[in-house]
Amino acid sequence: MSDSIDRGRRLLLGAALSGVAGRAFGQAEAPARPVRAPSSERMEPLKQVDAGVLNIAYYEEGPANGPVAILLHGFPYDIHCYVDVAPQLAAQGCRVIVPYLRGFGATRFRDPAMLRSGEQAAIGADVIALMDALGIRRAVLAGHNWGGRAACVAAALWPDRCSGMVTVNSYLIQDLARAMVPISPKYEVALWYEYYFQTERGRAGLAAHRREIARMLWQEWSPDWNFDDVTFERTAVAYDNPGYVDVVIHSYRHRFGLAAGDPQYAELQRRLAPLPPITVPSVTLDGDKDGVLPASDGSASASKFTGRRIHRVVPGAGHNVPQEAPEVFAATVMELIRA
Amino acid sequence: MLNIAYFEAGPADGPVVMLMHGFPYDIHSYVDVAPMLAAQGCRVIVPYLRGYGPTRFRDAGAPRSGEQAAVGADMMALMDALGIKRAVFAGYDWGGRAACVGAALWPERCIGLVCGNSYLIQDIANAMAPQRPEREVALWYQYYFQLERGRAGLAANGREIARILWTQWSPNWSFDDACFERTAMAHDNPDYVDVVIHSYRHRFGLAAGDPQYAHIQRRLAALPPISVPTITLDGAGDGVAPATDGTASASKFTGRRIHRVIPRAGHNLPQEAPEAFTAAVMELVKA
Repeated sequence: MSDSIDRGRRLLLGAALSGVAGRAFGQAEAPARPVRAPSSERMEPLKQVDAGVLNIAYYEEGPANGPVAILLHGFPYDIHCYVDVAPQLAAQGCRVIVPYLRGFGATRFRDPAMLRSGEQAAIGADVIALMDALGIRRAVLAGHNWGGRAACVAAALWPDRCSGMVTVNSYLIQDLARAMVPISPKYEVALWYEYYFQTERGRAGLAAHRREIARMLWQEWSPDWNFDDVTFERTAVAYDNPGYVDVVIHSYRHRFGLAAGDPQYAELQRRLAPLPPITVPSVTLDGDKDGVLPASDGSASASKFTGRRIHRVVPGAGHNVPQEAPEVFAATVMELIRA
Repeated sequence: MLNIAYFEAGPADGPVVMLMHGFPYDIHSYVDVAPMLAAQGCRVIVPYLRGYGPTRFRDAGAPRSGEQAAVGADMMALMDALGIKRAVFAGYDWGGRAACVGAALWPERCIGLVCGNSYLIQDIANAMAPQRPEREVALWYQYYFQLERGRAGLAANGREIARILWTQWSPNWSFDDACFERTAMAHDNPDYVDVVIHSYRHRFGLAAGDPQYAHIQRRLAALPPISVPTITLDGAGDGVAPATDGTASASKFTGRRIHRVIPRAGHNLPQEAPEAFTAAVMELVKA
């Protein structure tokens, strides 16, 4: 089969799927494009903005006057989790903002002496600071892993800024008071990197082998995702951020109560400690192949969602749901945009 | 320090073999090795290590140390108590470490050494140097045990943790539930959690040692060579300490040393490959 025919088939398939989506969301003229971006495609150009304690690098796509969706990546990932989600949302009229979290990619601390905190209050506050800096009043907040936690923190503490929330693995605000309660050993095994990072050996290991550790976690967490080397490296360059090791190590120590938080976030952390409910409309997604946080039926976290909340299990997806199942993730965000 | 529970087999006047078990195992690692050695004329002594089975601390207030100097000193104390002058020391995992400590510091008491995974004396000064991540992931339990969450997890879920480790470390070994439970009972020892947690914290320099072993630990810090005749065994299927060709540890063995890789065997060498383990011991008994 010739290359051009193969390419044509792929474009045709993309057009067909776009058509289906278009009917579902009432947009008949969705442009034909491949279902998935090529693995070499970078989300560029980036923009930079001073926002709170950070200078945040972010990718933006879609009409400036559209409803805003902020897409938040996790560890050890980067903005390219959303490489296929962002254009689908933009094509449906959204203004899409995809920031690099603190410690990742081109985002920088404005004060070089500042504590490289990775605590949940900080990454949640960073989202609100970015919205303030860009003059965004309200947005749908969507994320997975650290990014899902940032979305939960922002939605819980600033519900007036959040028109809806999409997270992977449901309610992600950490219960630090119970961090020393063990879980079933078969789940503790999957958290090996969190325990490793408690030691200085783990810090040195992350600094020396950040790519190998990330690749292992990608494989463990998404056993059915066949990412190629180009896809991995496109993201892995984000770990070369000079704050990466410090932020990651602090994040995993703080959640066990084994590193002090940055005092400037103490008031926020105090409000997070009682595990505040999320009142905004929410859709939670679990990948049924998730290798670190196994898919649930959502009932255990039901009491944490006091507004409308829908829970779905995404077949075939692992932990990196937006990159593994971008159509599902994008459709979910659109449900909240249109709600 | 201890009141030691041990199994003995074979003629009282035979050459003595000390068979030392590891974590999270017990004396039944040698359930097939001991009778084979006894049938060939050896006096076989198989002790429960501190923290395992019916072995007990004599002083209720003694620190429950699991440090390498302590498990090595315990073996020598047992030989003294039984009036055993010299023996072949054989072991794997913690027991291999006890055997290495005994062979390195008291070579006059050691006829020869059989050890899984070669030289096992810990280099605590370099404990913070990372290994390749694919090796670190196998040590998940060691990092887990650094936290109080890991201590609580070991106390609450000791059997499940042991079963996971057996499965990870010996992927080709099909043990049944009765085999597992026969050993897991030894983990109900009231000192098990304290000794295990201390062992894994001390090796990273994150728990202080028992002062009474400080003089031994000081000598171990220099990574003393082993001069007695030695056979080191690696299991080709070992899931926690992958098989080697033995060259990396060659400089630590200044006497005659033979290294062998046992096909298919995992980490629990004596229980998975009892014939090969027994044969290695007999080579040193007859040497």
